Amino acid sequence: MSSPDDLVQADIDGQIVTMPRSMSDLLGQPPITLTIDGKKVEVPRVSVTQDPKGKAVPRLTTLYDAALKVGVQIPILCHREYMNPVAVCRVCSVHVGYENRPAEWRLAPACYRPAEAGMVVATHQTNSRVLSSVKMLTELLMADHPTPCAKHKAHGDCELEVLAGQLGLQQVRLPRAPERRPRDDSSLVIAVDHNACILCDRCVRGCNDIRDNQVIGRMNKGYQARIAFDLDTPMGDSSCVACGECMVSCPTGALVNRSFVRPDPWEKEKPAPGPVSVEELSRNPLFADVAKPFLHWNEGAVVRRHFKKGDIICREGDYGSTAFYIEKGKVSIYLSAPFKHVKGQKNRRAGAKVNWGPLGLIRRFTSTLVRRDEDDREEESKSRYIHIDGPVPLRYDNPVATLDEGEIFGEMTCMSSYPRSATVRAEEDCTVLEILRNVLYILQRGKASRAILDERYRKRSIENHLRSVPIFASLLTEEAQFQEFVNYLRDRVELVRINPGDVIFRQGDPANAFYLIRIGFVKVSQKQPGGESVLAYLGPGKFFGEIGLMSNFPELRAKNAPPGLRTATCAALDHVDLVRIKEEDFRHVLDKFPGVREHLLKIALERLEEDKHTRQRVEKESLGDFLGQGLMNAQSLLVLDLERCTRCDECTKACADAHDGVTRLIREGLRFDKFLVTTSCRSCLDPYCMVGCPVGSIRRRNSREIIIEDWCIGCGKCADNCPYGNINMHPFPTDKKAPDPANPERMIPVVQQKATTCDLCAELDGQPSCVYACPHDAAFRMTGEDLLNKVQRHRHGPVTVEGETRPQG
Amino acid sequence: MIVQALHEIQHRFHYLPAEELHALSQRLRVPLHRIHEVASFYPLYRLQPPSQVDVKVCRDMACHLRGAEQLRAALTAQGNELGGAPARVVVSGVSCLGQCDYAPAVSINDNVYRGKTEAQLRDLVKLAAANEPLPHQHADRSPLGWKIDPYNGQPRYDAVRRFVEKRDADGIINALKVADLRGMGGAGFRTHLKWSAVRGTPGAPKYVVCNADESEPGTFKDRELLRRTPYLVLEGMILAGLVTGAAKGYVYCRHEYEEEIEVVTEAIVKATAKGFCGENILGSGLSFSLEVFVSPGGYIQGEETALLEAMEDRRGEPRNKPPFPTTGGLFGKPTVINNVETLAWATGIVLNGGEWYRDQGINGAFGMRFVSISGDVKAPGVYEVPFGQTVRDLVFNTAGGMRDGQRLKAIAPSGPSGGFIPARIKRELLPEKFVKERLAPGAADYDVLDLPLDLNTVGAMGGMLGAAFVVYGDRADMVDNALNCVEFYRNESCGKCVPCRIGSEKLVEILIDLRAGRLRRQELGVISELADVMGITSICGLGQVAANPIASVLKYFPEEVEKHLSRQ
Repeated sequence: MSSPDDLVQADIDGQIVTMPRSMSDLLGQPPITLTIDGKKVEVPRVSVTQDPKGKAVPRLTTLYDAALKVGVQIPILCHREYMNPVAVCRVCSVHVGYENRPAEWRLAPACYRPAEAGMVVATHQTNSRVLSSVKMLTELLMADHPTPCAKHKAHGDCELEVLAGQLGLQQVRLPRAPERRPRDDSSLVIAVDHNACILCDRCVRGCNDIRDNQVIGRMNKGYQARIAFDLDTPMGDSSCVACGECMVSCPTGALVNRSFVRPDPWEKEKPAPGPVSVEELSRNPLFADVAKPFLHWNEGAVVRRHFKKGDIICREGDYGSTAFYIEKGKVSIYLSAPFKHVKGQKNRRAGAKVNWGPLGLIRRFTSTLVRRDEDDREEESKSRYIHIDGPVPLRYDNPVATLDEGEIFGEMTCMSSYPRSATVRAEEDCTVLEILRNVLYILQRGKASRAILDERYRKRSIENHLRSVPIFASLLTEEAQFQEFVNYLRDRVELVRINPGDVIFRQGDPANAFYLIRIGFVKVSQKQPGGESVLAYLGPGKFFGEIGLMSNFPELRAKNAPPGLRTATCAALDHVDLVRIKEEDFRHVLDKFPGVREHLLKIALERLEEDKHTRQRVEKESLGDFLGQGLMNAQSLLVLDLERCTRCDECTKACADAHDGVTRLIREGLRFDKFLVTTSCRSCLDPYCMVGCPVGSIRRRNSREIIIEDWCIGCGKCADNCPYGNINMHPFPTDKKAPDPANPERMIPVVQQKATTCDLCAELDGQPSCVYACPHDAAFRMTGEDLLNKVQRHRHGPVTVEGETRPQG
Repeated sequence: MIVQALHEIQHRFHYLPAEELHALSQRLRVPLHRIHEVASFYPLYRLQPPSQVDVKVCRDMACHLRGAEQLRAALTAQGNELGGAPARVVVSGVSCLGQCDYAPAVSINDNVYRGKTEAQLRDLVKLAAANEPLPHQHADRSPLGWKIDPYNGQPRYDAVRRFVEKRDADGIINALKVADLRGMGGAGFRTHLKWSAVRGTPGAPKYVVCNADESEPGTFKDRELLRRTPYLVLEGMILAGLVTGAAKGYVYCRHEYEEEIEVVTEAIVKATAKGFCGENILGSGLSFSLEVFVSPGGYIQGEETALLEAMEDRRGEPRNKPPFPTTGGLFGKPTVINNVETLAWATGIVLNGGEWYRDQGINGAFGMRFVSISGDVKAPGVYEVPFGQTVRDLVFNTAGGMRDGQRLKAIAPSGPSGGFIPARIKRELLPEKFVKERLAPGAADYDVLDLPLDLNTVGAMGGMLGAAFVVYGDRADMVDNALNCVEFYRNESCGKCVPCRIGSEKLVEILIDLRAGRLRRQELGVISELADVMGITSICGLGQVAANPIASVLKYFPEEVEKHLSRQ
């Protein structure tokens, strides 16, 4: 017996789609005719819509689909054409009659009810009972809706308030309660106001079905129901990756960009947005092949702003959710943060303050900002270029570039919610389209728009991109040679886009290409005895995939690299754009340009060597939990012996004293037996802090210690990312002033934030201040391995881990 | 697996600690939000540790009528005296516990007590506060000589035996058709149509679900059938399974019916041991296994698709229809869902023939039923009565008459869902056809005591007939009781669709104003308007009927509404 839900495959417009047999049977059947608001309409039994990933989705043709076809507008709130209908808001209710049998007593949701032959449907436009029902439903929602909500206040586009206006709802006669539910401001990107939420389920479907991030659900029941993240965790502490899909899906002001709610102090400088009509957009070749219904759904997702010469378009470190497209004019893109790093120095000034603590003398350190040429740290970067979220890299010695008409910048901020990487200023009067994420996503994937964007990269950006990659630096000594190199690759490279989480290649796969990263972050990991271990996170401007292609070189063969195979797995952490150089082109480049070959070989050897070290360490230190906490990697843990420690907090005070009052350690953390491992940088195996640095200024030395490069813009992303809270933001005064956001009349000094982490400030006796300060000999600095030995000695038993759970990542 | 796993965690810890939910998420490889949306939906689960003494007083219909509110205040006062920080005793309200015949019902640390005096309850609270074990209140399980039970307490599973010998599925469906057996859960859908539909729908496996989630205020007859005649229900399920070709049957039972769950589980073990169900039934080569599914709670689970959602580990929210369960039920497969009583009658009908059941009806009606009667009567309880029995006969003979010398003011013949019917209905409030057939010419009103209780007649009068029958004496304030019923729906709404989720809350807010004398006449109009919209736009029966109690009071008891209106 064949079951009605046997799955079969059918070819729809060239796409193979899997569907139940009952559905595919209907595909072949003749269309049916029904009447909607007096208009006859012929529709197929099955309609094919596209989900946001462009996949064809077959669905029984609904009354809503049929009404669209005949031009009858049915209001919707919980429905979008590309979503599976849930029919919960009921504002699409219609009256269903039949040609040959009595009408239904109850109304039916048009978004859900399949169309049947001979139906006679009346919408709110022709049936007064339907109209009064839709009005009452809207009134019910408005009764608990803050009016205007944040979305309506910002752009006048709250779908509920717009619908109420269209229905001419003058006043709410029901008891009002717009302030009953909580707000959640814990996310840096998205502000949550449960009062404005209408439980349409669009964010839930966006998060779980469309993005598969699996964070948002509904909690409680009945009138107490609301959305929740994970176990009703504040959004900022939840497993939310801030992809922004929920915000884009939300019809009201329940999930909005934080800048709507709390405008940044620069908002005033921004010119007011002007709407861009769908017709106007479609005339721009970039938008020409985007489906018009999509643009209609997303009306307001593209706004036009006019900037006067000198206006700031966006600022480094700001959070945002948009990308910019330059319609007309020229802008300059630059970093305004001073290119300096934080240096702690013993204070030698006469009359400097001395801290007379209970134990005597601790000399005070002063932190200052210095350039790398003034203070060359161990393994200080010599990089000449800084990669930013735009089509050009910036030079270290002169970090300013110009962008022209037709360029797009801010794609990483828009797609993956990273802070803005650079400041952009209008060089002349210019017009800019500000684009929200879902529209940019479609542009990056549409055939024609993608061709335009890729063409622009090949013509205008590839040269600068290659110029900035250090392995090609040897070519730069002779411009003609570099030009030959660029021209060889210009049309040969492939530009590929990878979705978050997708694997680019796996360990053991045959190697057939070399990759340069344009946008986004790639995770490089390797299977090791203790499980998958992360070797590196690579950001814009970095490259990977060379080892597999070079493993036939004698130098690498000597290191036992598996011939022609990938030695690690590379996967996209977020939206990643790559430049793919095919194997034969890569080989040609190596043959033709020996300088490149030499440089790459050196790096490949270094990387292999580093992997080997990691592997050895993992094999040696098989202690699962200890390892999971990243402790085994630690070069210098601050460990407190709790049997001696009196909780006097002198260590923390000493750290703060040593670092301009900003402590870099917190006296809490994991406990192992009688030892407390305080919170300070652990130089983890999986350095999650490095993911998302918009300018790539946080890096590891080969010794695995974290180093923060001069061009840190102080956005705080690494401090947020560190699961142990071990990166602190340290403010330094600048000579700039800006209006106080709370009181625009007043000017307040602008401070420059810089990220800092433990610098092992060597004090007297060569000990760090914290250890020196301890009056009870309870503080020690030691490696993870030493700690383990100590613990085992003390307990004569296995180590157990108490305290926090293992961090994700 | 989520629902069972949460049961297990709660059993171990008495609540659901966050660490356990994290661990469960990893173990089942299910995202946290999926676990949390289930855990926070069902009233059985606690996300916070309970107080030492967790007292819940039923707040609905019969219990409300019999002083539950005062009892709750008294127990709260006792709790305050016992003190503690956090408070040792926490007293709260709970939706109908299905003990309306012994109102008011109270649960203490999940032990349900019925028919206890305030003094007895105070002693129990004291016992619990002293960490002493609480006694279980056992109920009688013996047969009562009901006509429904051809075995009189000694199950033989003759109908299953007969089917295995003759394999006459058509005969069984025909008997149900002749009997005109209707769904006894309240909707009254014809059983033979349901069974034939599932039988005729291709697809495997198919399922049979017995809806034993009896949670409507005033309804407790399934409780008695499950406890006294579990074998009839199981035999009805086995027959449904064999006729439709289903592989598996579930008894979906409310978790508060602990004793009934125990009895049914035992009966399944016995029946399986004797080969009446399970693999290879009586050597026939046919198989049909049975299992109890304990509901994580909530009235809405009685809605058949919400029940399926719970069984599929989701929030128990009713589905949009179509598809109906007969074609796309449990896990999308064809599923028979029948009420406990329907399945029990099916057994007798298969054994004795359709005519036997049909001819039990009186006053022109067909068949018999079990009615749960509660409220202001002398002998509340469960009775086996014929369809067509008049209200007079039911109230004054079967249930022993009105208590405390009260006069009959109103009946609720379908619990809260059908609203209140007054003792006398004015001629102009009755449908024309009903007036023509039932009223003497010139009569100004209709005496509801004359009303024969069968689905068609009550429907023709403009009412609904369910398994509950709650009787209100003349001391009842109808506005207060309407508010009580609407509060029940507000409390039990799943929150999926807008009209029910927000509509029921707004109705409660308006009625609180009305009862307090704060509502003005011109503000009454919005109630009827809202009631109408909830009725025609809600997804399921709960939202569709939630406004009926107040709509019926506005229609039949305008003078009571008048009394409450603001004088300003």
